[in-house]
Amino acid sequence: MSLIDRTRVLLDHALPVYRGTEHAARLAAVRERLDAPLRVAVAGRVKAGKSTLLNALVGERLAPTDAGECTRIVTWYQDGHTYQVQATPNRGEPRALRFSREDGAIDVDLGGLNAKDVARLVVTWPAKALRTVTLIDTPGIGSLSEQNAQHTWDLLVPEDEETPADAVVYLLRHLHAGDIEFLRAFHDTEVSRPSPVNAIGVLSRADEIGVGRLDSMASARRIATRLGTDANVRRLVQSVVPVAGLLAETAVTLTEVEVAQLRRVADLPVRQAEELLLSADRFVNAMPELGLTNLEREALLARFGLFGVRLTSTLLRREVATTATDLSRELAERSGLTQLREIIGSLFVERSDVLKSRSALLALAETTRVCAQPGGEAVAAAVEEILASAHPFNELRVLSSLRAGWITGKPDVVTELERLIGGSGGSAHERLQLAPDTGAGELTAAAGQALARWQRRAENPMTTYEMAVAARVAVRSCEGMLAGLGQPR
Amino acid sequence: MTEVAKAVAVLDLGLRACTAYDRPDAAARLTAAREALADPVMHVVVAGEFKQGKSSLVNALVGAAVCTVDDDVATAVPTYVRHGEKPEAHLLFAAPDPEPPRRETIPISDVRRYVVEGGENGGNGSRVTGVEVRIPRKILAGGLVLVDTPGVGGLASPHAAASLAAVSMADAVIFVTGAAQELTRSEVDFLQRARALCPVVACVITKTDFYPAWRRIRDLNEQHLAAHCPVPLMPVSSALRSRAVKANDTALNAESGFTNLVKFITDQIGGNAADRLAADAAAEVIALCDQLDSHFQAERTALSDPEAARRVVRELTAVKSRVETLKSSAAKWNQTLNDGVADLTADIDHDLRARVRTVIAESDAAIEEADPADTWPEMEPWLQSRMADELLANYNMLRVRADALSERVGNHFHEASTALMSRPSVHNPTPMSVVADFQHKIDLQRMRVGKQAMVALKNAYGGALMFIILGSLVGVSLGPIGIGIGLVMGHRGLREEKKRQVQRRRTEARNAIRRYCDEVVFVAGKDSRDTLRRVQRQLRDHYSRLAEELNRSNAQALAGASEAAKRTQAEREQRLKDVDAELERVRKLRQRALAVIG
Repeated sequence: MSLIDRTRVLLDHALPVYRGTEHAARLAAVRERLDAPLRVAVAGRVKAGKSTLLNALVGERLAPTDAGECTRIVTWYQDGHTYQVQATPNRGEPRALRFSREDGAIDVDLGGLNAKDVARLVVTWPAKALRTVTLIDTPGIGSLSEQNAQHTWDLLVPEDEETPADAVVYLLRHLHAGDIEFLRAFHDTEVSRPSPVNAIGVLSRADEIGVGRLDSMASARRIATRLGTDANVRRLVQSVVPVAGLLAETAVTLTEVEVAQLRRVADLPVRQAEELLLSADRFVNAMPELGLTNLEREALLARFGLFGVRLTSTLLRREVATTATDLSRELAERSGLTQLREIIGSLFVERSDVLKSRSALLALAETTRVCAQPGGEAVAAAVEEILASAHPFNELRVLSSLRAGWITGKPDVVTELERLIGGSGGSAHERLQLAPDTGAGELTAAAGQALARWQRRAENPMTTYEMAVAARVAVRSCEGMLAGLGQPR
Repeated sequence: MTEVAKAVAVLDLGLRACTAYDRPDAAARLTAAREALADPVMHVVVAGEFKQGKSSLVNALVGAAVCTVDDDVATAVPTYVRHGEKPEAHLLFAAPDPEPPRRETIPISDVRRYVVEGGENGGNGSRVTGVEVRIPRKILAGGLVLVDTPGVGGLASPHAAASLAAVSMADAVIFVTGAAQELTRSEVDFLQRARALCPVVACVITKTDFYPAWRRIRDLNEQHLAAHCPVPLMPVSSALRSRAVKANDTALNAESGFTNLVKFITDQIGGNAADRLAADAAAEVIALCDQLDSHFQAERTALSDPEAARRVVRELTAVKSRVETLKSSAAKWNQTLNDGVADLTADIDHDLRARVRTVIAESDAAIEEADPADTWPEMEPWLQSRMADELLANYNMLRVRADALSERVGNHFHEASTALMSRPSVHNPTPMSVVADFQHKIDLQRMRVGKQAMVALKNAYGGALMFIILGSLVGVSLGPIGIGIGLVMGHRGLREEKKRQVQRRRTEARNAIRRYCDEVVFVAGKDSRDTLRRVQRQLRDHYSRLAEELNRSNAQALAGASEAAKRTQAEREQRLKDVDAELERVRKLRQRALAVIG
């Protein structure tokens, strides 16, 4: 029986036990959540570019990207058959709200509700991207410097607590790693707490790092890689990828009109184009013979940013992409959006059963702890049994211990262990670091070798205790792979 | 004629007077003032958050890539950019007190290797504390030194305090903020504190070429500044300026906004500093005039009749012994100085300990609330920046108190010396030229009095020392975090064990913090004691020299008066005319010096 099935059965068993208590509704919701799409939250400090990135992920301009009333409320974007917006007040029943779409973004009429009294907004929107994940936009924690600086770490929620989101994408601005503000990005714990199990970092506004030079994204990639190896970041997120949010959003919502406008810039001689794009002011005001009004130019800047205009016109001139479709793909690639989607796919969506079970079991464990009911002890024991024995959880636990630096060893051994237990993706070829098109035979051979290697390590008396425990988990992972490949041991 | 040129002319006159009246001691002082005036040094500190374009701004200002600009790595040591006949670069190393920092010449192309984070150290493994780059540039020729401060860690880190320490020694501060967003709370805080420490502060918005909305940001920032700390605000684009300099494009240069900034630097910063130096020089001349004046007044009185001459000789002899006392350690000013420094040393030390205790208490409370395994990565920078703040406050206390002490010592010295020197003029038949002038003179003396402590502090800190102190304290190690296998196994049954482990981690964390704080008290305590000792030495030497000058002036007056008594009537009348002429010359010199101060 798979992990998610075991969780389902357990919850079905637990529901009658807590029927009639205050926790019944919560458990029912937890049970429903098991069959719903994975919930991924976009978190980070204010002005990190969360709404922009969310729009890019959805592929539509839904979230208002200016500081409006909605961005002050946690907003859920989920798939559905009809378009609707629902508000869940802190007190009282959820109610449907009227909304309009202005300039793409959804403008919600709170209908007399105060933003402070609304626990969350749920936007139901038929969109392909929302079918696999439900996205949660968070307001982001405000400037902490106004609060008492010494109590910043109070914000960390205690371990093992249920959280509304199954996974989190943390947006980081490019700050110095020695800056306290840098780690505060992870304090947005309203929906989930960071853990290398279910969180990834995004170096946002990547185009600003090189101040809009054409090689800005290369710089940003280098910085993201360095951040990803920083000890403090490693224990909080799995990896860090750079994304130029504005460009990503524009890439997925690009129009032919905009391409035609930018082509005028691209058709200029290189030198003139360079002069024109020297500064934002110049682009708006210089060269009236270009055939674009100031308003059109300002609109282009608002959509692309100076970096986007420079990059897109260069792409058009060099004929790397000629149609809006091609250009859209190219920009998504160059803005880092494609890579982010891939990572969300391999680290979150592929693992969604595990992540969802984890959320559900944590919620159930919490319930058994705070509410004593006849039969509750049996449920608690069953929860503990799954948490302690299910192999995917053991893998996750070893992974976080590795990331936190609690399991140590030779660097290459640690790297192999991390990959083997699914640290960079759950599929067999990713675990064994082979090409995606590797044949089953080769995979089996590699898995068999890894199995033997880690068995030896687990049994070697010179191995430290922590490493031995981790090695046994790795052995199980190898066995699992072999079983999956259809080769009995 | 500019103030500086006037001051130079007055100094030259003063120097000629020194030769004419045989006062090599005073001439030494005037020569020093003349040198300072000819080669003024004005430190302009460029400060701001991480990655706001500080180094780019400096590069754009001088039109050369002297500071390292990188998308990721930050500048880690201060870079001093100043004028030089040919381009050259030096590494500066910390040297044991009281030697000046050791220097090592390096090729300009190698600067990058030393200034960025994780950069190399000097040849024999000692720590690089700064890099000095000299290039021939018109903007720097007036003595401007641009200091590019490290952006490591941003304003919420220990380095912010180090920047503030540098700011307190600077003649002006240029605060850099990007056009990406409006001023943040911590930026405004920094600006406010910088403004309290430094006379000239300006805020510059950079990267206006990249952000279309920079005008909105500028307006917002103007509001913030008007509300919290009114300083001038200038939007610039370093990218445009660099390009304009390369292409010699005046229109583009104007577009970059740098013309305003350059004007501000030359007028406000350069002008201010030059005026101050000119005033200092004029004050030196006035001090000389005072001494010459009393000398000739005494001789004049002595010449008027033989009876008066005997009295003046008697009085001047008495003064001589009193001046001797003024030089000795029994003098009141000297006692004030010795007692004051002893008190101050104790007070500063106590203040430091009290501050560190507060920090320890706060950390303990924080540790009690959470598991150090979770919070340590954040606790560490917090502790450092908290400590840096306290060190800065402690150092500011030292600065203010040392200034006050210096003023007190100065007042005691001047009370004693004025009493001495004004005695002979009591019988002066001609009234003091203008009473207001006399008042003015006192003010000037006060001004120079305060400066003495600053000179000592500047020598001590040079703005860079705070970086060194904090740099040597980075790295509060908690030791290996003992996380048992409980987490690996994930058994709930280990809850108790987990609790025990948390307790152990808390104890470890508390001990680590205590070790760190001990180290801070040790290093910072030693540093402030050394600084105070230097202040004491500086003040003692200064006033001893002044006493020596008074002694010499008095001796001359005595010689003049004794001679007057021996002269014949005819000789006396002849000499009286000469002395009157001399007095008139001294009066004119004093008036010219006063005109410089305005």
